[in-house]
Order: sequence, then C-alpha cells, then structure tokens
Amino acid sequence: MSTVASAAASARPRRRRSAATRLFSARTLGTVVVILAGIVFAFPIALAAVYSLKATQDILSDQYPLSLASFIPLRPTLENYQTVFGPLNFQNNILNTLIAATGQVVMAVVCSTLAGYAFARLRFPGRDVIFSLLLLASFVSVEAILVPLYSITQWLGLTSTYVALFLPFACNPFGIYLMRQSFREIPVELEEAARLDGANVWRILFSIAIPNVLPALATLVLIQFIWAWNAYLWPVVIMQDPGKQIAQVALANMKSFPNFPMDGPLFAGATVITIPLVIMAIFLQKYYVRGLSSSGMK
Amino acid sequence: MPTAIRTSRKRNGRMARLAEVLPGPAMILPAVVALGIFQFLPLVVAVVNSFRSFNPFNQSPTGWVGLANYDEIFSDPGFQLAFVNTIAYIVIMLAATIPLALFLAVLLDQRLPGSTFARGAIVAALAASEAVSALIWNQLYDPRGGMFNAILAAVGLPEQPFLIGDTQSLLSIAAMSVWKDVGLPMLIFLAGLQAIPRELYEAAALDGAGPWRTFRNVTLPLLRPSLVVALFMMTITATRIFTPILILTQGGPNGATSNLAYYSYRLNFEFMAPGAASASVVCMLLVIVVITIAQTWLARGPKGV
Repeated sequence: MSTVASAAASARPRRRRSAATRLFSARTLGTVVVILAGIVFAFPIALAAVYSLKATQDILSDQYPLSLASFIPLRPTLENYQTVFGPLNFQNNILNTLIAATGQVVMAVVCSTLAGYAFARLRFPGRDVIFSLLLLASFVSVEAILVPLYSITQWLGLTSTYVALFLPFACNPFGIYLMRQSFREIPVELEEAARLDGANVWRILFSIAIPNVLPALATLVLIQFIWAWNAYLWPVVIMQDPGKQIAQVALANMKSFPNFPMDGPLFAGATVITIPLVIMAIFLQKYYVRGLSSSGMK
Repeated sequence: MPTAIRTSRKRNGRMARLAEVLPGPAMILPAVVALGIFQFLPLVVAVVNSFRSFNPFNQSPTGWVGLANYDEIFSDPGFQLAFVNTIAYIVIMLAATIPLALFLAVLLDQRLPGSTFARGAIVAALAASEAVSALIWNQLYDPRGGMFNAILAAVGLPEQPFLIGDTQSLLSIAAMSVWKDVGLPMLIFLAGLQAIPRELYEAAALDGAGPWRTFRNVTLPLLRPSLVVALFMMTITATRIFTPILILTQGGPNGATSNLAYYSYRLNFEFMAPGAASASVVCMLLVIVVITIAQTWLARGPKGV
C-alpha cells in the first residue's frame, strides 16, 4: 500500500517533466517547420532578386551543379538593370502599367462606392434582384470569357487602347459587395440625423457615409491596384501596340528573344515589378487579407 | 384656384417621390452597364457565336450552322484531353491546397517564433503576379541545369523532365499554382481559427482530449463554413489556370497541360476558328456551372451552412 503510494508520488513529477519536454520539443519542431515553410515560400521570389544581380552567363552556369554560387551572386553586377532601363526601355512599360492601374482603381472606386451605397441604403424597385444578378458575375472569370470579351472589345473599337486595358474589369462584383457590406455597418442613426437636417442623398453619401468606410476604400484601392498591376492575359490579347504594352507582358516577351538568352534582364525586370508590390502587400496585409477574404464571399 | 393648388401639390408629391427613388437607379447605373457589357454580354455572345460559322480570313460571321461547331470540337481528341485536364487541375489543386492550407493555418495559429516571416512569405507568393511566378518557375524547372534538378542531383536523386514530361508537366504546373495560391485558403482558415473561442479548447483539455481529438472534434466542425468558402474559391482558382500554361508549356507536350480555357484561346487566336472556340467556351462555362451547383448542393450540410 505504502509502496504503491510512494511509487505514484515519485512517478507524478517525472510524468509532468516528460510532458513538459514533449511540449517543448513540439514547439521547437513547430518553429522549425514554420521557418522552413517561410523559406520555401520566399525562395522563388528571393532567387529572382539574387539572379537579377548576376550576368546572364553566370545565371546559366552557376545553377547547375549546386554550389554556393547557385544562391549568392559572387560577382554582383548591375548590368541587367542597365539593360532593362536602357535599350529595353522597360520604364515605358511600367508607365503604361501605372496608367492602366490608375484607370482601373479610379473606375472601381467610383462604380463600387455608388452601387455599394445604393444597394446598402436606398430603396428602389428590383434592388435585391439586380444585386443578386450582379453577384452571379463573380463566377465568370476573364479566362473563361476571353474569346467573346475580345470580340466585344473589338466591336467597340477599343483594341490597342489604354482604356481597353482596364475598362472590362474596373467594375466588378467584389468591389460592390465589399462597399455594400461596409456601408451597412454604419449606424443608421448617423444618416437619419443628417436627413432630418435636410441633407439630400448625395450630401449624406459624401459627407457622412464615405468618411465612415475609409478602411474598406483602402482595401478596394489596394486589391484593384494589385489586380491591375498583375494583369497579363487580357493585355496579351487586346494590346497589339508595343509602345502601349504593360510591364508584365513586356517582361514575359524577354523569355523568347530569338537566339539571345535574356535571363539576367528578365530577372531584373521581374524584381523591379515584383519586390515593391510584394512588400506593399505584406505591410498592408490587414487590408489585403480583408479584401481577399471578402472576394471569396462574393 | 383650389384645383391648381391641388395639382401643384400632387405634382410636388410626385416629384418628391421621384427624387427619393431616382438616386438608387442612378447610382447603380454605371455598375449595371459595365457588368452588363463586359460580364453578361460575353456569355450571350459565346452562346450565339457557337452556332455560327465564320470567314476564316476576316472573322466575320457567314451563317448559322446549328451544332456543327460542337460536333467539330467533340470529335477533336485535343478537346477531350483539355476537358479531362480541366477536371484534373481542379481535383489536384483541391487535394493539394486544402489539406496544406489547413496544416499551415493551424501551424501559424500557434504563434510560434517565425510565424510573421512565414505568413509574410505566403502572402508575398499570393501577391506576386502569375506571369512573374511562371517566369521564375520556368527557370527552376529547366530540365537541363535548372535549380530543381541541381538540388535532386546534389542529394543523389534521379533528375526529372518536369515541364517536358508527359505526365509530369501537368503536375509541375499544378505545383507552381499550389505554391502561389495556397495562401488564399490558408488565410480563410486562419480567420476561421481565430474566431473559435479559446474556452472550447480549454474545455477539451480539461476533458483530457489530446491534440488530434481536439482537432477532429472541436476545430474541424467549427471550421466548416471556412472550408466551404475555401473549396469554392479554390475550384474557381483551378479553372482559371491559364497564364502558367501559356508561359510554361503552351499546352504541351502534346496537349498534356492544355485545359478548356487554353484550348478555346488557341482555337480563336491561332486557328482562327471563332465558332469552335465559342462552343468550347460554352462547354467550359457549363463545367463551372455544374461544379458550382454540385458544391452548393454538397455544402448544404446536415444543418444547412
């Protein structure tokens, strides 16, 4: 009896200690896995930045077989950046991307704010039916309707114009849904008070409603900007004027320069248009993630 | 005199009612017009053009051909392959991203050291463009002297053909898409996990439930709404795989990586066959509709989520 009790007494602390070591080792293991996952996900983009500092010949010769030189620019050079911003005139493509992105952001903000507010707060016949119909459009991706969208844009006479780059996507169900949800979260009393003071709908929208949804507007601007910045497929199809071509397409064209490997400039261009964007998305993660998750609820 | 007053009052009343009702339609007008022209009209155009024949040189419609365009693509082995591949991309993407995203979300939810870094890296992959991602992975996948084969050789494993392999090419494109897009379901799961009350975990611990049982009986059932959203989003994402195909393989080798979106694109822009291309677009839209309806039906769940 007493031996059993003493055995139990001596066993208890040992078991607790082993549980503690197990917890500790689980945390250590978890930390290792977390850091490994981070490295795996960061690797391709980081490697592009490393490659951008290597001469094209070094990129091709260093990566195989594996050595320290595969991961680190042992003979760093800025010649790729000089090529990209010199003879390739990549800054012109970046300017075109900025034009298209600005157009898309401005149109998306105007369209989504107006429609979002009307669907959230105003009463008019057919409101809910129209809203549900518009949301259905979120199942239609540009990849699916590329061919008919091209015919329509061509028929409108917009082929190879700046407007064609952003017009078809500037107004999308995601933005309308996001703004509608945000307007609905404003307490109705705020607007009621203004209405009793004699303010009309437009005054209420601009002086009360919009100032209360600025975080949602930031989300909308950020997401639309990233979408416009990253667009590739539609510009490939609709923009046949190389002088107005956007950066993503100009970059991909470097892959197939006839008889001349352009790996160095390609990675320099990729770094220029990716690293700032990615850093922006990481720092504005709160808005970015909010936008992504509501684009899923659309 | 009294009638004049009455009519003017009546008119004022009507004007006031109009002023109250009008702003709504006025505000949604830009959205309705834009979505009508660029989202809904393409669906109509695709259906209409799928029943027409076209002049191959100037692409103008030449007449109605009934179901001839459909007959043409259905008898094309390229279409059959693209159809099967479309489903394969969806199945592979769902099977890979959903468990991986769940694993990563549970891991990051522990707030271990390094979580901020890992989360940042996953968001970075998500924010990078598909074109840039494909261009980088193109280098990594290079069968002669790419980084992946260099790593395989360094650890003594046989080198792989990746994008030029008959069966590996589709998997290689899917792997790149998993790297790029797994952040989306992961962020959804992370938000879902953070909404689960901590007391539930404490109660489970008091009942003596281990980590696995807690996960099975507490975490998973409460994540069900997030799971449904993630499934929907990843299905749409998988049907959208296109840019990587265009940049990495152009549908090859022998159509092994082509899907319906890419097949329609080639018919229209390379083979100058808008009628057959439209028929293929209609088929792809039908696939999306059928899958969406099936998922909605499956996602109703026992209590309807």
